[in-house]
Amino acid sequence: MTTKTSLLKVILLGDGGVGKSSIMNRYVTNKFDAHLFHTIGVEFLNKDLEVDGHQVTLQIWDTAGQERFRSLRTPFYRGSDCCLLTFSVDDNQSFLNLGNWKKEFIYYADVKEPEKFPFVILGNKLDVTERQVSIEEVQQWCQENGNYPYYETSAKDATNVAVAFEEAVRRVLAMDERTDHLIPTDTVKLHRKPRSAGTCCS
Amino acid sequence: MVHVYNCHPFASQQIVQVEQEPGLFCCGGGALFVVATGGCKVDAYNLEQEGCPLICRFGTMGTVKSIQHSKIGDYLVTIEEKNSSTYLRAYTNWRYQAEEKARVGVRLLGHLLRGASVRGGAQMEIIEIPLSERPIAVACCSVTGDLLVGCENTLILFTLRRQNQQSLQNQCQQNLQGSWSNSQQSASQSQGHQSSSSHNLSVLDFERSVILHITKMTPKQVALCGGYLAVQAELEVLVLKLDASSEPTSLDESSDTSKDDYLEDQADLLLIPRQQELLGDQARNCDISVTIEKTGLEDKGQYTLSYVLFRRFTPEFFQGCSVEETQLHSLQLYPLFTSNQSVSTEEPACLFCFFSLPNAGYLYSLKSGVELLSAYQYPERVQEAVLSDHLLHVITKNALQCFTVRCAAVAARTEDPYIDTTMKACPPNSLQVCALRMQLFIGLRSVCVYGRHVVLLSTVDTEPREEAERSTQRRSLGRRWTISSPKETSPAGNGWNLYVVDTVSPLTLYKEMVEYSRQYAETNPQAQSLQHLLSEAHLLLRAALLQTPGQQQNDDGTSSLQEDAYRQDEGQTAVQTHRQQLEEALRQNCAQLGDCFSRASQKVCHLALPYYRMSGLSVTEVIVRNRPLPSSPHSYGLGFLFYLKHYLLEETEQKLSQESADEVIDIFSRSSPSELLSVCASPSMINVSPARTLRILQHLEDTAGVSVPLTIAMATMVQRLNDLPQYTQLMERHAEMLLVYGFIEEPRLLLHGGGGAPRTHVHPTALSRQLAKSQPGLLVAGMVALHENNKVQLEQADHIFKELGCENCLQVDFWEAMLMASSQETVIQELLFRLASVYIDRLVGTNSESGSSFPCTSQRRRSLKSTDDLINSCSHYGALYPWLIVLCPAHTTSCQHQEELYKLQSLLCGPSLSIGSVQPLLERLSEGTLWGFSLHLLCTTRRGQYDISIEKLLDRCPQAIIAYANHHLQDKNMGLWWQKLLPELCDRTRAAGENSILLAALKETLVVVATETSPAQFLELIPDDGTASYFLPHLLTCTQRHLLA
Ligand SMILES: Nc1nc2c(ncn2[C@@H]2O[C@H](COP(=O)(O)OP(=O)(O)OP(=O)(O)O)[C@@H](O)[C@H]2O)c(=O)[nH]1
Ligand SMILES: [Mg+2]
Repeated sequence: MTTKTSLLKVILLGDGGVGKSSIMNRYVTNKFDAHLFHTIGVEFLNKDLEVDGHQVTLQIWDTAGQERFRSLRTPFYRGSDCCLLTFSVDDNQSFLNLGNWKKEFIYYADVKEPEKFPFVILGNKLDVTERQVSIEEVQQWCQENGNYPYYETSAKDATNVAVAFEEAVRRVLAMDERTDHLIPTDTVKLHRKPRSAGTCCS
Repeated sequence: MVHVYNCHPFASQQIVQVEQEPGLFCCGGGALFVVATGGCKVDAYNLEQEGCPLICRFGTMGTVKSIQHSKIGDYLVTIEEKNSSTYLRAYTNWRYQAEEKARVGVRLLGHLLRGASVRGGAQMEIIEIPLSERPIAVACCSVTGDLLVGCENTLILFTLRRQNQQSLQNQCQQNLQGSWSNSQQSASQSQGHQSSSSHNLSVLDFERSVILHITKMTPKQVALCGGYLAVQAELEVLVLKLDASSEPTSLDESSDTSKDDYLEDQADLLLIPRQQELLGDQARNCDISVTIEKTGLEDKGQYTLSYVLFRRFTPEFFQGCSVEETQLHSLQLYPLFTSNQSVSTEEPACLFCFFSLPNAGYLYSLKSGVELLSAYQYPERVQEAVLSDHLLHVITKNALQCFTVRCAAVAARTEDPYIDTTMKACPPNSLQVCALRMQLFIGLRSVCVYGRHVVLLSTVDTEPREEAERSTQRRSLGRRWTISSPKETSPAGNGWNLYVVDTVSPLTLYKEMVEYSRQYAETNPQAQSLQHLLSEAHLLLRAALLQTPGQQQNDDGTSSLQEDAYRQDEGQTAVQTHRQQLEEALRQNCAQLGDCFSRASQKVCHLALPYYRMSGLSVTEVIVRNRPLPSSPHSYGLGFLFYLKHYLLEETEQKLSQESADEVIDIFSRSSPSELLSVCASPSMINVSPARTLRILQHLEDTAGVSVPLTIAMATMVQRLNDLPQYTQLMERHAEMLLVYGFIEEPRLLLHGGGGAPRTHVHPTALSRQLAKSQPGLLVAGMVALHENNKVQLEQADHIFKELGCENCLQVDFWEAMLMASSQETVIQELLFRLASVYIDRLVGTNSESGSSFPCTSQRRRSLKSTDDLINSCSHYGALYPWLIVLCPAHTTSCQHQEELYKLQSLLCGPSLSIGSVQPLLERLSEGTLWGFSLHLLCTTRRGQYDISIEKLLDRCPQAIIAYANHHLQDKNMGLWWQKLLPELCDRTRAAGENSILLAALKETLVVVATETSPAQFLELIPDDGTASYFLPHLLTCTQRHLLA
């Protein structure tokens, strides 16, 4: 039995400290670290998952949010299939910066039709009690910018993290029926017994 | 004729447990990297462990189109596609991706500031290498780790940079300081720092160093090795060499070449491309132009480009393949380090370029002259070929086969330019290559090689099984390939399989070849095949020996891992014993090749000598190996006789036992009697039985006639038998002069060793010892003749006399005789000095009456040559000046040193002795005796100090003064008669009163002065107080003579 597998590049952007690395860690390793390094440059990892019968390899790209790492991260926007714009609900400035992130992404990723590109907005640190950004503000921003889906997440409590990534996949698959980034991979799931090494020449 | 040998190059085979159908794969660093078809994942398997377990798995950033591993730096480089863009990426630190879920760092080329470096390099990192053109092919240099990328019209070279971890860490530390948002993180900082400092890894990066623009050739494959670049298009291969040069390339030059190209361009429009092979500089004339683009890094120095090789094929040239099929593949640059090179620092001594068409492969040697080393004719269409350390592996659709290669022969010659001499040998570079037994598979697709592991991918989905079988049958009937076993390994179940086939060790293969060669040896020892097979085996061992311990360690790119250090010691001894085994096998092989060539034809039989020599066998052992079987009609082989003759000529220290020596005599008396004499004279034959040999020599004389050397050889044997009368009788058969000629013909009758070469030790033979006793004149004449014929050096002759215990007697005779014979100025000067010193020594010795300085003296026989002999026959000895006879008549000196005195005086009177050199020696002689005085006076005279001489002589022996003045005060010294002698005599007579000797001298002097001066001059000379009557007659003669004139 073979199914089509596609490699989807999903990139996390947002201010330094909003929790991009934490979200990725939570999703892939299901762990949370209260003392995390700031990311320098760009890192990624792959995760296989099935969404609505589609076998996909999600390639999650974590970037450095701090301004001074801009030159290290921007070259890798190209080829992204989806962009997760992230802010922290306890940091109003990080929310206000979303527009800048979007602009930076569209510019460097060289997106052909920016209005059709799938963005997903994440408001992280939902668990924190002192909120600075209200849901309404965000929803309005999403509405005005292109009707982006919005998820409030907590990397700490694992709230909505998986849901958000699955939504991202769905957006890509739904939005884009062109198959040019669907890589025809024959996935063979055969559980063969290990064959022992033999000698061939006598 | 292509040899096909029924040897088994493959040992075992395993199947790699891959889950998905492999698309691409490559090997390196002990690992096999597999990319599933169209996949974005790389599985790394350990090739060096049983069962090839998975090492790790990591995702790629796009669909991999091409993948290569670099030994240096242990990185992978890929060409990938994502959303229809093509990328070039290098994956470093992949071994840290043990956990698939670990994060992977990504950075751009040149942007080294990375999180990974902060984490101590323990993270896989991908370096993205941006390119302005789409990459088509990529290659890594196995020596430097540099990267060559081929695009449509350009070749881009990236140099590998390693940044030391430590230096980077400080940089990152600083950088981080500002980036922590809260103090909580400082705890993890110290943690992180600790863990990272335990590693000391270097971080890789690349630097774009050269861009080459290439016209009229679209690269399909590229290769890179130590400054050599190879590009392969569909039917063309171009090899270039790039050199970093300090001098900037002039712009004029480049514009010039482009002009040339332009002209050629036009010419080419009219021509259909033709077959071309352009070697070395000639390759410049190919119509492909390559130019270097400046990268802007001016301070990095400039590069110069030279053409090395160009080869173009035309498709219709090859039968059996359709035009579309006829495409080049498997381009490879293969370096070889010789064993005296240190791999890490030097560039490889040998470099080879391989490429292949479906029906033929070509292997070129690129260094020290570009040449086609071997052409491989495949009996069937070959899809891929890989050159490995010992063999060339090729795959057809249904078989894996290997061919032998000649790289080791080239390396042997590069390493040792004296390899093709009488000392050493190696099968020729041009030795016909051969195919070994093949292994059947079904649906082979591609192959790669790591050390002794050959990795194969097979898929059957396109070819039905029956067809495969049919083709097998066809092949068997053709009998052109030797097929391994009827049981084919077919991919079961999946329709695809990834095999790891291990080749046997070179030593094992060697042993099988030797086994195989026995059949030939028994059935037809003269056959070429035996020679060929043994030569193949020889090169196999040489190739194995070239994989030196140093190189083997370098081979695994993992050496950065610390645990390697622990394993090293153990490994070292294993490597050592392995090397010893190989060396032992090589000796055995050389012995067999020696056997083989000892029976070979005239043309190649001389090779028996170097091979036997390399085998380390003793002569006796070689003799035993060459003994003809009692039943066999064969006599001794030409090569064996050649070996034996050379061995005996070459004056080794090894002495044969009497048995062996007698056997040697038998061999030569049977096979080559004319050589018997020189055989007898060999120092190795010293133990030969004299009586037996004498009989054989006697027989030789009976059949071949009398010859002087033969007589001397016989005399030598007789002398060893202590039969003095017969010895004397033999030696008296020929005149002394003829005997001397006999010695020139065979110097080893007199001395062993040397052979004319300087600074080798020589020894007198027993005959020499005998001659020193009985015919010293003959010995001296013989030695002189040998010297003059360059058969012995002066120092060697001296050594002979020293060994004979005749240092002060016969040796001096030898020097004197040499002076008579020699015409070499340096030798003459040396001898004059030596003789003068000997004479002086002897005079000093007798003078001081100790006599002990030369023990020979008391019982010394007379010299062979008297002073008169020497004066008469040797120009360096001058006739004694008349005044010497007056000064010291014969009876005044003791007869004991009379001869030496005369000889020394004679030398001083001669034209050749340099006074400056003997003067210091003369200081040892006192002037007390008249003869001592005579020598000093001779010296002063020879130096032209006549004033002093006159005074001294007048002081010591005035009766000799006129004889002296007559002899020396002539021509330009004439004036001394009146300037020096006359005033001296006047003074002395006045002071001494009536001294008849002085007065007589004065009278003689006045006669001379009167004849030589004018009257006016003469008047001036007369002392004021002189008696007029005494001088008047002389003045009168003077005036009369003047008037007459
Ligand atoms: N309470 C809470 N803290 C969080 C959450 N997500 C992240 N954090 C913390 O916020 C800090 C920053 O998180 P990171 O994941 O490093 O932030 P980032 O977006 O990756 O930052 P840069 O790498 O600098 O761009 C860390 O100390 C996290 O532990 C969350 O959902 N709830
Ligand atoms: Mg981060």
